[in-house]
Amino acid sequence: MVSFILKRIVSGISVLVAISFFTYCLLYFSSTNIARNILGEFASQEQVAAKEVELGLDRPLLVRFFEWAGQAVQGNFGASWFNSEPVIGAITTRLPITLTLVVVAMLCITIVATLLGMAAAIKRGWIDRLVQGAAVLGDAIPDFVLGIVLVAVFAINLHFFPATSSISPDAGMNAWVASMTLPVIALLINGVASVAQQVRSAVIKQMERDYVRTLRSRGIPEWEILFKHVLRSAAPAALTVLSLKFVGMLGGVVIIEQIFALPGMGALAVQSTSMGDIPLVMGVVLYTVVIVIIVNLLVDLINGWLNPKVRVS
Amino acid sequence: MKFGPKSTVVAVLTAAALALTACGGGGGGGNNGAAATTLTLGSVNDMKTFDPTDAHIGHTMPFYQAVYDSLIRRAPGGELEPMLATEWTYNEDHTVLTLKLRTDVTFSDGTKFDATAAKANLDRFKEAKGQDAYQAASLKSVDVIDPATITITLNAPDPAFTYYLTQALGFVASPKAIGTEGIKTDPDGSGPYVYDKASSVKGSQYVFTKREGYWDKDLQKFDKITIKYLVDLTARTNALVSGQVDAALLDPKSGKQAEGSGMVAHKSQVDWHGILLFDRDGAITPALGDVKVRQAINYAFDRKTILEQQYLNEGTVTEQVFGPESGAYVPELDNTYPYDPAKAKALLAEAGYPDGFTLKIPTVAAFDGVNAVYKQQLADVGIKLETETIPPANLVSDMAAGKYSAATFQLYQGEPWVAINQMVSTSALYNPFKSETPDLTALIQAVQNGGDKSADEAKKVNEYLTKNAWFLPLFRLNQMYFSNKKIDVQPQLQQAVPSIYNYAPAK
Repeated sequence: MVSFILKRIVSGISVLVAISFFTYCLLYFSSTNIARNILGEFASQEQVAAKEVELGLDRPLLVRFFEWAGQAVQGNFGASWFNSEPVIGAITTRLPITLTLVVVAMLCITIVATLLGMAAAIKRGWIDRLVQGAAVLGDAIPDFVLGIVLVAVFAINLHFFPATSSISPDAGMNAWVASMTLPVIALLINGVASVAQQVRSAVIKQMERDYVRTLRSRGIPEWEILFKHVLRSAAPAALTVLSLKFVGMLGGVVIIEQIFALPGMGALAVQSTSMGDIPLVMGVVLYTVVIVIIVNLLVDLINGWLNPKVRVS
Repeated sequence: MKFGPKSTVVAVLTAAALALTACGGGGGGGNNGAAATTLTLGSVNDMKTFDPTDAHIGHTMPFYQAVYDSLIRRAPGGELEPMLATEWTYNEDHTVLTLKLRTDVTFSDGTKFDATAAKANLDRFKEAKGQDAYQAASLKSVDVIDPATITITLNAPDPAFTYYLTQALGFVASPKAIGTEGIKTDPDGSGPYVYDKASSVKGSQYVFTKREGYWDKDLQKFDKITIKYLVDLTARTNALVSGQVDAALLDPKSGKQAEGSGMVAHKSQVDWHGILLFDRDGAITPALGDVKVRQAINYAFDRKTILEQQYLNEGTVTEQVFGPESGAYVPELDNTYPYDPAKAKALLAEAGYPDGFTLKIPTVAAFDGVNAVYKQQLADVGIKLETETIPPANLVSDMAAGKYSAATFQLYQGEPWVAINQMVSTSALYNPFKSETPDLTALIQAVQNGGDKSADEAKKVNEYLTKNAWFLPLFRLNQMYFSNKKIDVQPQLQQAVPSIYNYAPAK
């Protein structure tokens, strides 16, 4: 177990290094005029040249990358080139918002999709058709369209929720909950639909297995068979889809944050990338990769815990 | 146990309820702007720094105006009014400006405002070379005459200098704070409001509270002002119509939605829109070197129809680059180039391009729609318009570097001398090929030395630019600023958004 985790951590670090380098290359080739954009339209050519030297933009790619990496290893990610905000500070003020969105949405997806999927598998009939239909519909409607519709109905017409984020240091828990509700719903519909579908087919498959018949014949209550045995065996398929959803959601949240004006990582990523704010972009990319690695590791561990068959010896 | 229909329904409902309560529960909160003495604005641009040497005309002016007083204040209609300077006078040849200063003003850190502080700020502005450094281009030196008087000596007459003192150049910060790192995040000025850092979130919202003991109570109409950065147009529109913000800049389409929800429009014309024909000497595109070709381009556009279809008629067609309030506007010039493709073709043939030519311009997402229309308009007279997509952040710098012979763009219609230095003079950012002719140079000099008559002299520059088709002006666009009925707003002349002083609670 320990060696499995260690192995995964080592491979995670190599992925991290590879992605950092790849991102750095992309930024190197795609961003021009950074010094000019920082200084504004009216700075002289000399000022721009001086700024380029100050930022190290005049040096070769590899030198710059290793210098950045050397600092990053020591935990020093620098500060934004445009507004001097420290990268760590920028990320830690925005991360809670994005993580709350994604984690709450994932929890809701897990609970709702499991219940719906099981109901569809066992009941079949109308609820099954409903889940299947919803899966197609949920996949077809992009979450940002859903977000816009939700705002129009629940914020603007019914005034149940604020239309854009009302989160601020002065605002309490209420503002958080009210500001997060619509974005979370917009994010989760799509996930619920597809995960429920996965749970449904996995449960149906398990219900046909011999062990279910054996358990039934021994008089084990139906709910125990379902939740203790069938669900456990059906979980890996759903978990894999869930982890993919989670990773996908880190990207999808970018647009949702824009629509709801939530000051999360998405806005930061878009802004810093479009301006070529390399220290910030690198910080955002690293954080995303670390989260993806941790989630994948967790999913593998949970899978092993749920199902001894997939445990690594 | 089998799942009966009842228990299924219960399970689904419980799940749905769980989803809602886990992340819901609250609600309301849509009435932030309700109290009478708070003002909440939605801003298109974020505030990068509070350092006044990096202040920039347009969208971010309200942030600076809240915390800093300027030497001169500009009224909504453009008239200059006293602020930190109570009076100002030029010498005879308009090269020395004497300012009388207030003596009862204190900065946030307790330092008193005086002539030395004013000089320190002006000197620092020139040295810092910030976003709007051009405003100090003619500034030679500042001298302290007595604690309440300074004189500013200019290299040459600058008809826009007093206007600049209402803008970035005019903002005054505490001499203890200027030039420090701290001022970027902690403004230290004497403005009507103070920045409440603890309640603000960088990149999201900025909160300002009324300054105690401020010298002009008339400029403090609210107890608290919050400016929210809402870059997304949909979010901005939603925030406005749901009452989260009291005012915000929209566009013609979202403006219709806002009007439908009972919001009040405050339209003003700030920008002119069209194509800047940079390459007037034909360095990259030889055809543009011929005035007949540039005139042909002006004849090729059906301005009225484009305005109707692309901007829902929110604007006024024009053929000149100076605005009606600038003083340099000449109404008759708007009949110079009526839509006439046949004439355009004839002019092209006369110039030796009967089969047209190819013109390459940069495009960014914001202009993709109109550029497609312009491509069609030019194709109708035989000119092939090629567009090259570039990152929005590079548009201005690429234009300024002379990479393109023309570009679709929007420029604000400033005072004549501001506009000339923005797009006409050889040092202008939007004159990358440094086009000039002896005739035009003489006309520009007349404006510079025109003193009180400089706007009249600028009419001749306007005539020259229009007749020689330096640009392809298409229309002056309406700035679609909207507010709810809880507040009164006055648009600010030649500024993207109203100044902070232009808001008041509705009577």
